[in-house]
This record gives sequence, C-alpha cells and structure tokens, in this order.
Amino acid sequence: MLLTQIKYDLIMFFRELFYLVFTVVVPPVTYILMGQMFSNATYSGGMNYVQMYTPSFIVLISFSVVFFAFGFDQVMNRAEGIEKRLFITPITDKILLMSSIAKSFIIATAGFVFITLIGILIYDLQLSIVNFLVSYLSLLLINAIMLVYSHAIYSNFNEVKTALIMSIVLFQIVMFTGGFSVPVESLPNFVKYVSYVNPFYHLNKMYISIWNQTFEFNQDMLISIGYTSFLLIISLVVIKLKKRF
Amino acid sequence: MQDYNVKVEKLTKNYGKKAVLKGIDFTAKKGEIIGVIGKNGAGKSTFLEILMTIKDYNDGKVAVFGNNLKEVDQAKLEEIKSNISAVLQPTQFYKKLKVKELLDLFRAYYGSKVDLNEIIEEFELQEHLNTFFDNLSGGWKQKVSLAIAFSSKPRLIILDEPTTGLDPHMRNVLWESITGYIKKNDSTVILSTHYMDEIELYCDKVLFINDGVTEVYDTPENILKSGYKSINSFYLDKISK
Repeated sequence: MLLTQIKYDLIMFFRELFYLVFTVVVPPVTYILMGQMFSNATYSGGMNYVQMYTPSFIVLISFSVVFFAFGFDQVMNRAEGIEKRLFITPITDKILLMSSIAKSFIIATAGFVFITLIGILIYDLQLSIVNFLVSYLSLLLINAIMLVYSHAIYSNFNEVKTALIMSIVLFQIVMFTGGFSVPVESLPNFVKYVSYVNPFYHLNKMYISIWNQTFEFNQDMLISIGYTSFLLIISLVVIKLKKRF
Repeated sequence: MQDYNVKVEKLTKNYGKKAVLKGIDFTAKKGEIIGVIGKNGAGKSTFLEILMTIKDYNDGKVAVFGNNLKEVDQAKLEEIKSNISAVLQPTQFYKKLKVKELLDLFRAYYGSKVDLNEIIEEFELQEHLNTFFDNLSGGWKQKVSLAIAFSSKPRLIILDEPTTGLDPHMRNVLWESITGYIKKNDSTVILSTHYMDEIELYCDKVLFINDGVTEVYDTPENILKSGYKSINSFYLDKISK
C-alpha cells in the first residue's frame, strides 16, 4: 500500500506544473544564471560562487519540495475533500504522511544530484566521495527539520487560496533573506534582521559550512543550532496540539 | 451470525451546542437498498459519515458488521473500513491521476484481488481509462466513483447524493450499475437523495429523518399503502408539518 502511494505521489508531483516550476525549474536555472553573472565574485569567508551557492540551491530545492509538494499539497487535499475520501478506505493518515515524507526525500535527493552535476559540469565543482556522502546525509537531516516546520505551518490552513498566497510570499521571503540569492552581508540592516529570524537562513548557513567542511561549533553556529532547534520544538508542540483538537 | 450489516440505536451528534442528530434508530439488512431522505440540514450527511467511520458521535450505539464502533481498536477499524466503500458529494479524487491509475491505487488501499478488467467492463470505462479524473464530465465522475466504490467488493456501500446534478439518462445508468451490483453481491447500499422517484423505483426501505430523529422507517410499498399517491407527496406532506 505504502509503495503504491509513493509511486502515485511522485507521478502526481511530476504532473503538477506549479510544483515543477518552483522545484525543478527555478532553482537550477537561477543557479546557472547567477553563476554566469557572479562566477568571479568572492563571498564571506573567502568562498567562491560554487562553494557558496551549490549547497544553497540544494537547500532551496529541498525547501520548495517541503513547502509546496508536501505542505501545500496537504492543504489542497484537505480543502478539496480528497483527504476525507481517502479516510473512508483502510489507508491511515500515518501511511499518507509517510508517503509524503518519502516523496520529499526522493525529490530532495534528485535535486541534490542534479545541482551537484550542474556544478561539476559547468563550474568545475570538486567534491570527494566522503564530502558527497556527509553533505547528502546532512541534507536529509535538514529536509526532516523543514518537514516538521512545514507540517506545523500548513496544519493551520484549510483553504487553498490562503495557503497558496502564504506559500508564494514565504518563498519570496526565504529566497531573498535566506542567502539564496543575495548574500545576507550585503543586505540593508532591516532586511538583515529578517534574515536572522528566518530559520532557513540558519539552515542554509549550516549546510554551506558542512558542504565546504568548515563546520565547527563556534558561537555563531551554536546560535543557529539553538534557534532552529527551538523552532523545531515549537513546531512539534503545534503539531501535537493540532492533532489533539 | 447477524443478518444485518448496520444497527443504530439512539444515535446523537452535536456540533458544539447544536444538536444535529437527536436519536436515530435504524437497521440495515444484507442485500437491502435503503434511501435516506430529509430536508437540507436534516443531518443526512452527518449520519452517513458516522456510518463511514469518518465522523465521531456523542451518544448511542452504532454497530457495523456486528462491531460497536465505540469499542473497536485501530486494527478492527481498518478491517471494518476494508468492507465499506462510499461515494461522497461532491466527488473528489486526485485530479492528476488517470481513471486506470485511480482504480489501481484504490485496489492497493483495499489489498483487493478483484480483477479490474471486470470492473472496467461492468462500468464501461474502457474509453476513459486514460482520462484524468478532473477532465471527466460530472456524470462520468460519478460513474468512476461508483466503479471505485464497488471495486473493493464492499459489504456496505454508502452513497451521498450519488445522482445529484446528473441528467435522467446518466441517473438511469448509475442506478442500473447499483442494482446490478447488489444482485450479484450480498451487500447493503445506504444512500441519500433528493429524487423521490429513485426511492420509489429502487429502494427497499426509506429512512425519513426529521429534526434529527427517525420519523419514518418503512418500505415504499407500505408508505404508498397508507394513502400517499407517491413518495414525493409523502415527503412534501411530512416536511410541511
């Protein structure tokens, strides 16, 4: 039952233009275009474009999948009565959730491989096998954290329209204040503050350092770990409370 | 072994402070087609959703296949669900799946070994197998929903206004499918409808819910014998009181 559900969840994902644009088209195309413009630029910590933005765009694909194809999809199924129809069958909400999680992991993996390949083919990206594996496993962990955030946020929505507006606004905020397009250091001060409260900025920052093997438990990282963990606990509490009521 | 599939006693359901069902008594035997009628907002859909096991209730007893729904564990509930199927109003399935994929997916849910070709043939779905569910007309959506509902060979089928909005030809086609299935299987069909001619033509019994209680539960023949020209005049007379 679970495997069949995963199979059809993936088929539906690849048939939904809206999801494809935000996950399969926008991040890789932006990665390539920005690379053409800023390939000679140097970023904080002396990183070049590939070191800075290859991991960023991998996280961005993961974010898009988790928020559109996982969270928004749940709202759509709830609002349109599909979820109600499914609950008449022997399938349980746990299996549906497991299938959605598996779907997001599979697409995030594909995004990881895709962006890495673009990096290798176009920008001469160098990556050892160990670094590749560590980066991949870290991505899965970050993906799992984002799934919890997404589940907590979208469990509050019952209408497609409001969830759609929220998704698009959230995508823009994350794109511009998460360090996915413009380096946070070069943003105006008030936007920087938005970045600091944006958990995806912290997740992105941590992933960039893991990807570049510069991760260490310094004060800056501990703040990011503490903040994202705090929001993770809050999200879990929200999910639990929503389930009860 | 009990000869009924559903037994309901003194069922009550509140939404907040509003009492929707105030005491429903009802028994559905195997092989029966039962029509549930009542004004809009009378609680028909709530009653059917309780029988579908997707809605909780406040008080009373609801036994499906001899199991009290308040006393079953998750495993038993899944076993009960594997023998129930439904058509909801409005009909909704995954929009981005084709008809044949929906049939396959629902077969997986029920772990059913039913030959899908048999269902496809019975419901004449051949032409639409590769059509996305969302692209079907209203009538075909209902027909596919019925095919999906019947594909698991359920013992209890619940249909919430299955023919609403369909033209007379499509209504007739759907009813032929429903009665044809009942003849072959020892199942119970419980349905809500606003078409009183359907009750008269196809149902073995009528449950009339008024103000949240069972006001009449009888055969159409007995109702007509009591002096009504048609079930429609019975219904109009009852709701005007």
